[in-house]
Amino acid sequence: MQEQETDLELITAVLRGNSSTYAVLMKRHQRFVFTLALRFTKNREDAEEVAQDCFIKAYRSLGTFKQSSKFTTWLYTITYNCAMTALRKKRPDTFSLDDEEMGTPLTSFIAAANEDTIEKKSSHFYLNMAIDQLSPEDATIIILFYKAEQSLEEIAQALSMDSNKVKVKLHRARIKLKEKLQYLLKEEVKEML
Amino acid sequence: MTTIEEQIWDYIDGNGDSAYRTEIGAKIATDPLYSETFESCMAIHLEMNEISLDEPSMGFTNRVMDAIEKEPAPVALKTRLDRRIVFSIAGFFIIALLAIVATAISESSLSIGKVSLNIDFERYISPSFIKLFLFIDSCIALLYFDGLLRKKRV
Repeated sequence: MQEQETDLELITAVLRGNSSTYAVLMKRHQRFVFTLALRFTKNREDAEEVAQDCFIKAYRSLGTFKQSSKFTTWLYTITYNCAMTALRKKRPDTFSLDDEEMGTPLTSFIAAANEDTIEKKSSHFYLNMAIDQLSPEDATIIILFYKAEQSLEEIAQALSMDSNKVKVKLHRARIKLKEKLQYLLKEEVKEML
Repeated sequence: MTTIEEQIWDYIDGNGDSAYRTEIGAKIATDPLYSETFESCMAIHLEMNEISLDEPSMGFTNRVMDAIEKEPAPVALKTRLDRRIVFSIAGFFIIALLAIVATAISESSLSIGKVSLNIDFERYISPSFIKLFLFIDSCIALLYFDGLLRKKRV
């Protein structure tokens, strides 16, 4: 079986002129980028636009990528900046990324949970609902830590933050997530009775 | 002072040294409050690892690749900025500065007894020299600023 090429090998190939190799690199990371973008935009169309913008910017700047850090950390920095820009365009008035209002309101989720679907029985469904209610920044930290396997230092680098701040934010996000999950599951039990 | 929950999350995440982790591990084994918190945190932790990622639409890759085809091919920074060129420019400026300082010192009246160094800088650093120096400095500053803005754009 052919061994999978590393990100760096693919980048080298793109920089040598084989631009079609970029599709392989993109396919490898597009789910992460899209998921992160979706946490900010809250709708798939806008998230695709952000993800597209991110991959084009990454392609343009591929030559400046310093191989001292992971490609994913660099890519997530671009994703975060693109998502922030999109969010600012959408809401030109001042906003805070810590703001819980930036998450989807709880009532809309309860309405969604009340729809009679098989998916609602799954604990993953409730977990995704709870994550969607977090602020975009908290949700990003959770996704980067658990799914993208980024260390606190790498997340700090991607979000231009201090690693201690990331640690505190991660801790708070987990507490909020726990509370929201407990609330959602309570609603589910109520409905069953 | 960290809360029990913070200590438990540190334990689960593998933060802290081995002594700290052993201490928390022992508390989890003996203290019911710690073990209860550990179980609830662990349940969330395991659940979190199962978070599903969203998939963009089928045509996403092709759409981005179509857009990329219109872009100029990226070039490695190493290719664009040959280190030899950078070192040559730096070398030129260092040699030029050293030559000016050396000439100034050689033509100065230096008396060791009183330690008085009388260098006539005005003879060497003329107004046109200063203008040229400032012009080169401005060019370097503009190049640096351009690089900084490009980085920010990314």
